[in-house]
Amino acid sequence: MMLRIGVCAMVLAGFAAAQDFPPGSRAPSIEYFPPETATVYRGHAKPLELQFRIASGFHINSNHPRQEYLKKTELKLNAPTDIAIVKVTYPAGEDRSFPFSPDEKLSVYTGDFAVGVSVRPLKTVLPAKYAVHGTLKYQACDNAACYPPKQMPVSFEIKVVKDPNANKRRNPAQSPHAHR
Amino acid sequence: MKRDPIILLVVAVVISLMLVFGIQKTRHSQTSQQGGAGKLQGQTAPDFALASLEGKTVKLSDFRGKAVLLNFWATWCEPCKIEMPWFIELQKKYGAQGFQVVGVAMDDASPSDIAEFAKKMGVNYPIAIGKEAVGDQYGGLPYLPSTFYIDRDGKVIDRVFGLVSRSEIESNIQKAMGSSGQVAQK
Repeated sequence: MMLRIGVCAMVLAGFAAAQDFPPGSRAPSIEYFPPETATVYRGHAKPLELQFRIASGFHINSNHPRQEYLKKTELKLNAPTDIAIVKVTYPAGEDRSFPFSPDEKLSVYTGDFAVGVSVRPLKTVLPAKYAVHGTLKYQACDNAACYPPKQMPVSFEIKVVKDPNANKRRNPAQSPHAHR
Repeated sequence: MKRDPIILLVVAVVISLMLVFGIQKTRHSQTSQQGGAGKLQGQTAPDFALASLEGKTVKLSDFRGKAVLLNFWATWCEPCKIEMPWFIELQKKYGAQGFQVVGVAMDDASPSDIAEFAKKMGVNYPIAIGKEAVGDQYGGLPYLPSTFYIDRDGKVIDRVFGLVSRSEIESNIQKAMGSSGQVAQK
């Protein structure tokens, strides 16, 4: 019984501590964890995951916010020539209500989230390491205030190699009359 | 050692309350010192002349003689949206007594989008299109909403950053209306 009450007490105190913090007491921060350098065959698409972590107490809008006037989170990538960004896949937002609007659900990201990126080097690209740079556009809020939209630099590296199967060309069928 | 569960519970509640009130107090004192805005308290509110949504000019000094609630907001700011209906009601309630809400949209949306948003919200007070320079005059406005309470003499008597309760807003309006150059005591 005492243990239960003790646990309840700690949870209550922890809950109170985690409740809220004064707006502006700390800036919203997002950490970016680039993927390890991925080996990609020329001419083939490779899916990668770009991991992000939003500091606790903050949220950002998902890529599909429920209200049109809210700023969506968006990844913009500038790949080197002949390396195509085939697709960018965003996670679904978490529908949450906040103390400033308890009756309204917002589609947001909190904590950790990952954006999927599919890259495809063209067959003509020289085998080498290539860096892809870009920005993550987001707009963060806490429980009482919102911070101006920001752009966070993002980059990752890929190692383009020849497709080993590309050398195994099948000989074209030869005409039986070819060597006559 | 045997611990009384009631005492444990009371201690937890007390700690929780202390944390909650501590946070509230910190928040208020922080808003009082926020950036350059802290220096504005008791000072004449920096004047500005900005274009309104109707294409007219909104000049803060034109409201001298009235208590002014100067609200910096943006369409992308959800907490700002919560305050707007309160401002509308309070403008109706205190307008005749010499009170005026002035909104400044610190937005990158087009004026027509801001106007559409304001119309949807039923805003009954002037909205100016903000400029960074004006934001800088008011301490840089690192986040929104940011609200300044200005008395009839044009002096900033208080400013609040972030969403607060309607009753706190109303209390600040009353202070601004009743104040004769007195700075709100914290």
